[in-house]
Amino acid sequence: MINRRTDLTSNVVDFCRFLRSHDFRIGSEEEATALRAMSLVTPDDRSRFALALQVALTHNAQQVQQFPELFDQYWKELEKAVDSKTKDSRKKNGKQNGTQQPSFDALKSWLNGQKNNEETETASHSITETLSQKDFSLVPADQLAELVRIIQEVSQALARKLNRRREKSHSAQEFDLKNTLRRNLRRGGELVELVYKRPRRNRVRLVVLADVSKSMDLYSTFLIQFLYAFQSVFRRIETFVFSTQLHHVTADLKQQSFQEALRELSEHTAGWSGGTRIGPSLWTFANDYGRLLNRETLVIILSDGWDTGDPNVLAEAMQRIQQKSCKVIWLNPLAGNPTYQPRTAAMQAVLPYVDVFASAHNIESLKALGKWL
Amino acid sequence: MHNQELERIADLLQSQGYITDPSVTMAVYLSMQLQKPLLIEGPAGVGKTEIAKVMARALDTDLIRLQCYEGLDATHALYEWNYQRQLLHLKMVEAQSTGTTQDLEEEIFGEKFLMKRPLLEAITYPKKPVLLIDEVDRADEEFESFLLEVLSDWQITIPEVGTIKATHIPQVIVTGNRIRELSEALRRRCLYLWIDYPDYEKELAIVRGKVPQINEQLAEQICRFMQELRKLRLEKTPGIAETIDWARALSILHFDHLPKDIVEQTLGVVLKDWKDTRTAQLSLSELYEKTGVVSKFDNL
Repeated sequence: MINRRTDLTSNVVDFCRFLRSHDFRIGSEEEATALRAMSLVTPDDRSRFALALQVALTHNAQQVQQFPELFDQYWKELEKAVDSKTKDSRKKNGKQNGTQQPSFDALKSWLNGQKNNEETETASHSITETLSQKDFSLVPADQLAELVRIIQEVSQALARKLNRRREKSHSAQEFDLKNTLRRNLRRGGELVELVYKRPRRNRVRLVVLADVSKSMDLYSTFLIQFLYAFQSVFRRIETFVFSTQLHHVTADLKQQSFQEALRELSEHTAGWSGGTRIGPSLWTFANDYGRLLNRETLVIILSDGWDTGDPNVLAEAMQRIQQKSCKVIWLNPLAGNPTYQPRTAAMQAVLPYVDVFASAHNIESLKALGKWL
Repeated sequence: MHNQELERIADLLQSQGYITDPSVTMAVYLSMQLQKPLLIEGPAGVGKTEIAKVMARALDTDLIRLQCYEGLDATHALYEWNYQRQLLHLKMVEAQSTGTTQDLEEEIFGEKFLMKRPLLEAITYPKKPVLLIDEVDRADEEFESFLLEVLSDWQITIPEVGTIKATHIPQVIVTGNRIRELSEALRRRCLYLWIDYPDYEKELAIVRGKVPQINEQLAEQICRFMQELRKLRLEKTPGIAETIDWARALSILHFDHLPKDIVEQTLGVVLKDWKDTRTAQLSLSELYEKTGVVSKFDNL
């Protein structure tokens, strides 16, 4: 009986290793949990055994889905191996240690620093990270939903950034002495009611201008998603897209579902994947929508700067925009490439009027946006 | 022997009117045996919270609930001093002018003036309670890491009083709706259970259990209809609660089957989003066909 138990133990440990190779994050704590769980169910009942392991070793819905198959796969392999080994041992008669050796070795190597495993684990730490490293242009369509969620998280984190000023709060975070005294004056100075304050939420106003011309085609779908996520998170945001003309798309993006927003966008916006006239488009913005800009406004421009128009128009437009706003951020998807130099005439014209020039080719770079917001 | 214990838990859950399945039973069993928190995720309305309630009843103990929301902070989860009461007390004592300052201080930072919030309440509870941390993904990440600390140490430090250790480690159920991805650290501390929408048999069993007076044919039709309805692409897929509401409503109206016109009139019980209602209406005839719903005219 005890023999059987240890056998089972090493099998469970081995199974954990097997799961790790399938991107499950299982540390020694989970392993211990699994082993303790094992002692609570009879191993004869296969389905219960599987369930107990599942409860102990899975951490999210996706893993729950994968688990039964991996379980079957592993134990089938094991049965096969045991079968052949019992045949072997019958032949060699009494080389029992040999049966246990491999898994023991494996366990030992695992205990003495499994460098390889460690690496794969950090690399696949979570879906968030693998996706984060990806260039937008390489993301296949089936990861879209995931991407949108990550972007949403990123922009939520941005929205959560706090201000140094304080405002009134209902939770007891920081005591507001001044207002407490003032409030309780009418009670003869007895401090009955307490007033608290908290860091004021950032109230930045955002204006986003996105280039949707042909040269941006690879990225624009994702940038539109980014816009959509932004729009749903920030309340004070105005969004524009431009190719040859400028379009105000705030209202179109304010749809319940992303699909609907895309449909509205494509219905109302001509010139998707068309030519680029950055200069005139920005000029139109500076002139017609200048009222949107004030010292609290952050302007984000998403464009690769491939413009064939007159750089002077562009420069003038940019100057106006910068003067009126708090900060201008130019996100260029090409800047993700380390060899990239902003050499085009348009980029050269723009640079003096840009506070932050950054890349926007993957989520990592979009996350970095938080620094500037 | 072990399996008997499992069966006993299944029976316990069953006896409280909770229709369970092997994975739920196993998760509850292990969570109780291993003294580990159980993290339950799944779509809205599949009975995640219900598990905690049923567990509390089955263990004959009390349920302490911490409902999470955005901006929830440690003070709301742990304790607060009843400041106004302390102040009044000071005033009264001042009037009598007895006792030393030190006595007084000890007095006003005593149990009487401490307002226990769910976590402290759970830790100091006289018997082992079930602690339900509901919709933990609504709270922000800071709170989550704070929670981790409490869940691993089972002690809370109040500067004025000292460290309070748990008298009994509570049975913890954590639920999430996947609004935000939970931290890996929290996931790893818990056992995990994913509950999906029930299949037809389970749903039927639940309806029978919750609405005992319901006509058999009606129950079957409602469940079949709901199963098909969930296959549509809806904004808010109806959960079990909706099925039960609907079954209860139709059973009160004394229907013994599901008539077409009534489906159309009462769809609002099940679908709470106008767009979903429209989607469902567009595919009603298909739904009828699949679920065997007939209008009274069809029989003629």
